[in-house]
Amino acid sequence: MQYISVSLPGSEDHDNEKIAKENLMEIPGYYEFCCRVKTLSGHTALEKIPEALVKLNASRPMIITDKGVAGAGLIELVKKAMKKKGAKVTIAAIEDDVPADSDVTVVNRIAAVYRKKKCDSIIAVGGGSPMDTAKGVNILVSMDDTDLMKFCGAGKVNEKLKPLIAVPTTSGTGSEVTLVAVIADHAKNLKMVFTSYFLLPDVAVLDSRMTKTLPPFLTAPTGMDAMTHACEAYTCLGKNPISDTTALIAIRELSQNLVKSVKKPGDLNSRLALANASNLAGMAFSNAMVGMVHTLGHSIGAVCHVPHGVCMAILLPYGLEYNMHRSGKQTGELLWALAGEEEYAATPVSERPAKAIQYLRDMNQELHDAAKGGHARFLSEITDREGKQMVPKEAFADIARTAIGDGSVVYNPEELSFDDALMVLEAAWEGVPLDLKKVKKGAKGMKL
Amino acid sequence: MYVVIMLWVVGRAIQVAARVDKDVKKEFEDLPEDFIFYLGVGPAGPYMVVGKNEKGKVKFMGMNPSGKNISLRLTIKTMEAAIQVFTFQESTCVAFARERFVADGELPQALGIVRVLNRIETLLLPKIVTKLAVKRYPKWSELNPVRKYLTRIAVYLGIVTG
Repeated sequence: MQYISVSLPGSEDHDNEKIAKENLMEIPGYYEFCCRVKTLSGHTALEKIPEALVKLNASRPMIITDKGVAGAGLIELVKKAMKKKGAKVTIAAIEDDVPADSDVTVVNRIAAVYRKKKCDSIIAVGGGSPMDTAKGVNILVSMDDTDLMKFCGAGKVNEKLKPLIAVPTTSGTGSEVTLVAVIADHAKNLKMVFTSYFLLPDVAVLDSRMTKTLPPFLTAPTGMDAMTHACEAYTCLGKNPISDTTALIAIRELSQNLVKSVKKPGDLNSRLALANASNLAGMAFSNAMVGMVHTLGHSIGAVCHVPHGVCMAILLPYGLEYNMHRSGKQTGELLWALAGEEEYAATPVSERPAKAIQYLRDMNQELHDAAKGGHARFLSEITDREGKQMVPKEAFADIARTAIGDGSVVYNPEELSFDDALMVLEAAWEGVPLDLKKVKKGAKGMKL
Repeated sequence: MYVVIMLWVVGRAIQVAARVDKDVKKEFEDLPEDFIFYLGVGPAGPYMVVGKNEKGKVKFMGMNPSGKNISLRLTIKTMEAAIQVFTFQESTCVAFARERFVADGELPQALGIVRVLNRIETLLLPKIVTKLAVKRYPKWSELNPVRKYLTRIAVYLGIVTG
């Protein structure tokens, strides 16, 4: 690891030696970063879609979305934007029955419609599921195949696909800039993961109107999902200078705009800032990966069917706390993005990590209050529509067992065993901070 | 040649450790009956193959994966990266994080094998070297010195005698 000294704003009061020790940007011996998605961002960015399609040599797009998005009238906005005077594009088909969990049979059916209607491109409008479904459809129609399984795994899709434009309607997943798609085969009870640079959409359209109607109870957890992407990308093993940059700016924008958006959903400037933050966080984690917050979150999702963002919001402070002895320096640096440069400069170096974690806990509390209790702060607070607790303590063993088989655990700075996972789950259920004395601290010598 | 020797030693060590170390034994118990994996260096080797035989015993199956029904392929992308890992300049997990490894197979199985490799390093190497390679060195309560040294002797004897 080679170090170069980079002074973060607000460090002027410290002496030079201290600055050099505190503010080291770590350059890994080797890293890769790739994001070749063109981003169109603005309050009327949708209107640029026809132009973007023409530049991609496409004129007959298929829109892939879900019922919720269509019901909220968002597809009407897209259709209106496509009817712009002089636009030489026609919507060839609209498919709006994508389920909450993307499914291989739906992908196959939509691919058949794509061929039948002679479409030449795809516009994915929605959250993670429509994006993943669109990527799956794009694989089949571009590779001229009917068996998605053939392309499952890393790098199996190895040629340019049909033009894909991604229009996110939540500010959280960052799917519009990620190279991954997860599609379930419910009949065989398995989840297929596809990763390839060719799965990156060609264009991401961030338009504030697309998230304006998102209710507070969804805005809060999806925003904290983006926050988790950025915080983990910055503090885990796969970090690199480019992902660090995008992560920090994402955190700053989320910190300044998430609570504001929950309190005032119609504030289009905040909505656009959140969409940009989610996009930047997506770029960061797509290249730096994530750690134990996602490890445990994926597992709670798999065992108890809790929405992903809800788990992320609750577990993020715990993940940072658990790794504090390893990545405390990086966690401390998050304070600059979270609380601003004055707060960062006024806080002694040793206190920055704990303050950053407390800031995130306070943010969860603010979101809880702003969403009138609709944003869970602890695992014990998560309930379904009938008010039934979704994460019973009896499920902890299953969750912990699933967690140690989750890929993201590799990128976590500290080892996470079955017992460690149980300890974190217990604390996150009760809503009490981790007892740092109980966190097993790994070998000091390992080069991170 | 150094990497070939290291792969051979690791392969033989896994075979023995699966008999004498409860953690390695447990990891293999959780894997399918016909599980075979290779750890190798891209693009053309060397490789070492370890898997369960028809009696369910964990066996070092040589250095040639061809003709074997491999369930999991762990490939270090380049010889330079392999040397970094096998000289402990870079830990296994950091090498994964920096995309020096390609894992082709089921992810939970790949993570199980990473845990086995970490355990093998703990059993074979002095603490000062192992601490460079693993995220967490086991505490006394998890691996007391008597058990560690007895297991280490058994593994080294097993490597030599087969």
